[in-house]
Amino acid sequence: MTDFPIVMGIETEYGIVRNDLQESDPVIESMELVRSYQSADLTGWLYQGEDPSLDARGFRVDNLAQDEEEKAFTRSDYKRFFSFHEMKSDRILSNGGRFYNDHTHPEFSTPESSSVMELLRYDRAGLEILLLAKKERERSLGKEGGLSLYRNNTDYHGHSYGCHENYLLPRAIPFDRIVTCCVPFLVARTVLLGAGKYGYESSEKRGYVRYQASQRADFIETLVSVDTMHCRPLVNSRDEPHADRNHFRRLHLILGDANMSEWQTAMKLGMTKLVLKGLLLEGWSPDIALEDPVESIRQVSKGLRDQPLLRLRDRQWTALDILEYYSDALEKRDLNLDPEERWILSGWREAIDQFRKEPSSLSDRIDWIAKAEMLSRFREEESLAPDDPWLQSLDLEYHNIDPDQGLFHALEESGEMLRLTGEESVREAITHPPGQGRPPVRHAIIRRFPDDVVEAGWEKIRFRSGEVVVLPLFQSCREEEIARLIERIGGLSTPHEIVEVIRPYTEGTNFQQER
Amino acid sequence: MFHDGSVVLFPERKTAPGSPGRETQKDAPVPKRPETKKSGDRLMDRMKKVDPNQSERYRQRTGE
Repeated sequence: MTDFPIVMGIETEYGIVRNDLQESDPVIESMELVRSYQSADLTGWLYQGEDPSLDARGFRVDNLAQDEEEKAFTRSDYKRFFSFHEMKSDRILSNGGRFYNDHTHPEFSTPESSSVMELLRYDRAGLEILLLAKKERERSLGKEGGLSLYRNNTDYHGHSYGCHENYLLPRAIPFDRIVTCCVPFLVARTVLLGAGKYGYESSEKRGYVRYQASQRADFIETLVSVDTMHCRPLVNSRDEPHADRNHFRRLHLILGDANMSEWQTAMKLGMTKLVLKGLLLEGWSPDIALEDPVESIRQVSKGLRDQPLLRLRDRQWTALDILEYYSDALEKRDLNLDPEERWILSGWREAIDQFRKEPSSLSDRIDWIAKAEMLSRFREEESLAPDDPWLQSLDLEYHNIDPDQGLFHALEESGEMLRLTGEESVREAITHPPGQGRPPVRHAIIRRFPDDVVEAGWEKIRFRSGEVVVLPLFQSCREEEIARLIERIGGLSTPHEIVEVIRPYTEGTNFQQER
Repeated sequence: MFHDGSVVLFPERKTAPGSPGRETQKDAPVPKRPETKKSGDRLMDRMKKVDPNQSERYRQRTGE
């Protein structure tokens, strides 16, 4: 298998609500929450050079789509008494992540990493960071329990917010090939990765209160698009690599649910990474294609444990058949998988087998099954009708991140949900960056020159002098080498010396695809 | 079960298979079984405290 290390990241927008007010302003609440978190390296994000309107298909759109309601909100946002940067309230964290107000939602983005389990640890650390910020915000309000934060993707009234995945790929891979290779897999993975939702929100069925596997499927309306807030796509075509665009492209996926289950978050990243690394980068193409991928993801979501046959070009398969097809393709190839990748592939196969035998056997790792089981117990005990609104409220509270209130946390605490991260390593990930890649170097530079750094992004750091340092990915560096580099950075006298120190690490992808 | 999306009772859950016990990068995952004690009454108590109208009041703005 190619030794190209796929750098990944995961960004999660959280729902936020004030419990002591009838109505609260989500812009203000998100800003204040982020600002309550004091342990940041830096407060200025370098937006210069970022362009979410660039499309990987080779053009730039004039405007990103918004629905009418959001357009009106945006117009009123312009009249507020704070600047764009004040509203964003960016925090660049010492762990290499980013915490900010993104479109009225507090968002935590993990530092970049090519290890699934490392990302899982940082994703969990992000949840802890939000809890710390919540505590601080409630202290300043003088109201314990004054805020609730939700790791989900919907308000059940047609407003969705995302949990995005990022996979850095060689630029040499054409975007169209990524779409062809991945779409059947992305649709099918929903059956194992859904967070579960009590309600339907697609325009034709809004208000119909029944359970489905995915929170996000109702909001996926097209196959490929650069948009993220309206008419959302199965594959987002935003061309913003946050790395050298001559060598890299970033696959930005916005279709996934924000899982409470750590197993699902790990499998989401791991299965997708395996498809990209073990199949796409190896030149493999599927000989199946869904006739209507958008309709299919909704069918998978609504199918629950009775998965429907999906229409392919020349046959009909369930989501499980498609997942088996991809895992077979991986197993048939002579791939030199590392232990983490082997764990992912065997967990993937095992989940298909278990689902076919008895889906409820996966209730310790799949949110939508755990939630369904939990709601069933409650519905029976309280003799509720299938459309009782209480069930939807319980669905929401499953995602409450407060360990004393959230229903998922009660299940995890009792051992009914698998936990893969250790508390101590998560605690360390709150403040410390990973040992490899770009994040520890970025952190070291900001820490070495705190008075000189004005703004930083994933790839660039801007200094008071106007100088901008562009960071390579340090993809091929081992941890010891990064440690030595950090030590050298610690001994520098001025920011001008940084460029010389990192020059040897400037790299291409060295990726060549066999045909 | 679930033909119309309604939630019905699942059978008793089976034993959980292995999971990676250590999350150290590239380490071989070590099988670990969670110590399961059914959340039972405590979960039910927590659920009963949830305001039935909580989701009706919950409104967010569109995100990405």
